Amino acid sequence: MSGSSRWNWPAVKGASLLIYLSMLLPLAVVVINSFNAARIPSFPPSEYSLRWYGAFLQDDTFMAAIWNSLKVGVAAAVLSGAIGTATAMGFVRKQFPFKKSLAIAMLTPMLVPPVIIGVSSTILFVQIGWDRSILWLVVMHTLVALPYAFLVIRSRLYLFDESLEDAAMTLGADRLTTFREVTFPIVAPSILTAMVLSFVISFGEFTASQFWVDRTTTTVPVVIYSMVRTLITPKVNVLATLVLVVTTAIPILGIVVQRFVLSNAQSQ
Amino acid sequence: MASESVPESASKSYTAGLKEQLMENRRVRFLVSPGSGLFWILLFLIAPLTIIVAFSFFKPGEAGSIVYELTLANYREFVSSSVYHTVIWDSIKIGIITTLIVLPLGYTLGYFLGRTESRWTPVLLGLVVVQFWVPLIIRTYAWITVLGRNGVINKFLTAIGVIGEPVQLLYTTNGMILGLVVSILPFMVLPVYSAVSTIEEDVIQAAKTLGASDARAFFEVTLPLSWPGVVSGILFTFILSAGSFVAPALLGGPEDRLIAPVIATIFTNDFNWPFAAALSLVYILFLAVLLYLFTRKADLEEALEGTQI
Repeated sequence: MSGSSRWNWPAVKGASLLIYLSMLLPLAVVVINSFNAARIPSFPPSEYSLRWYGAFLQDDTFMAAIWNSLKVGVAAAVLSGAIGTATAMGFVRKQFPFKKSLAIAMLTPMLVPPVIIGVSSTILFVQIGWDRSILWLVVMHTLVALPYAFLVIRSRLYLFDESLEDAAMTLGADRLTTFREVTFPIVAPSILTAMVLSFVISFGEFTASQFWVDRTTTTVPVVIYSMVRTLITPKVNVLATLVLVVTTAIPILGIVVQRFVLSNAQSQ
Repeated sequence: MASESVPESASKSYTAGLKEQLMENRRVRFLVSPGSGLFWILLFLIAPLTIIVAFSFFKPGEAGSIVYELTLANYREFVSSSVYHTVIWDSIKIGIITTLIVLPLGYTLGYFLGRTESRWTPVLLGLVVVQFWVPLIIRTYAWITVLGRNGVINKFLTAIGVIGEPVQLLYTTNGMILGLVVSILPFMVLPVYSAVSTIEEDVIQAAKTLGASDARAFFEVTLPLSWPGVVSGILFTFILSAGSFVAPALLGGPEDRLIAPVIATIFTNDFNWPFAAALSLVYILFLAVLLYLFTRKADLEEALEGTQI
């Protein structure tokens, strides 16, 4: 095939290479520096060691933050997966007034700056006398992730062939059975995608979360921020590296599981 | 729980009737209702935004308390103090500058991914998607080691003799913009990629057969066809950079006072919740006007769907 449908190709390739470099180089430096033995790490490291990994594992603040982030992330993923599914089905299957405006309303958490989401919800919760707890993070992370979950599931439902449901019901299945046996297995991969995405969004959310955490419910990004602002400890590089590995591995795992589910569903 | 039995259903053999009847089942109806999501938005986004409207008309009391007494003082402070005008204007300026840089760079990479025939395309695309997954705080923090006085860039530039002394990159406006640009790039790359990759090779070839140069074929065929992706990218880039918190806090200098960090400081350090509320509302109002103008020219919903691939 001739490459002539492209314009300025060598320049495009060169610029793309530089963009990749700018996206990946800083992350690579963090990963390499996590193995730096020095207390004040300079790059490239003069000596490598695992000492900061050891120190990191001894650090209760970090361990508590990881545990909090995991709990909140899983809860937010389940909630936004469930609410996202119900809402997306409603938008695709039902007719109701102001549908277009309400669809945009579903997406507003993407438009409001996270600082304002954080500040306004804190004012409301304090005002109604709801004490800061891990539940704040769960409900608010669900809110932040919901538009993404909604979009992923809705775009899958648009492709869904509704005559499959009619067929199931003609054969005597009730609506709930039809959902369980027909609709759900077909939509399931996109629900999984939505849940993984929600987990990742929750796990990384910092800007609004800084207003929601307290000493006992602090999360990974908040710990990283306060460490960077106060004392730079090499342990931050270790935490950043581990988060990098986990947040990259979970979606990849999700894709693998999805492929597996899909190929199983097709072979049946 | 067993599903409710519907005695008459046996007599109705056609699906439409059956469907209608089972939709009466409340449990089932909940499964296909838009209510839960809209309820969540109402409760945890609209309600908070409504209560800060009230708060913006209250007085701040001692040590973070609130005096429930109606006043226009917060808005008067905003109108009379040029500090906060500068803050909002600077945020808009940073938003525009970042967008002007992200647009050509993001388009280039999106165009590359959309038109390349490399068998590594899935991997290259994956490397962009991964940027979404890695927390923003980590991607921004990573620049500190790169931009610092003894950082990678200064060491490299000194080594090749471009500069004699290390230059100040970290804690400057330029450093902040660099961090913003790179962290926001995927929001431009992915929608542009989605749009460019669906343009048929034949369409571009047809233009060229009719005598268009490479450049003309690009500007008159490829670019207009990929416009929806560009619009989506511009929307995200402006909103994320003008309202950014992490990059100005970690990479910017003391003169980089953008709206998000300023609201956070007033809220957390000064404990002046009413003024933080007023400032938030002023900014929300500005965004609302901007988005309204946006909807006159483009489809907001479609633009927000843009980052999906």
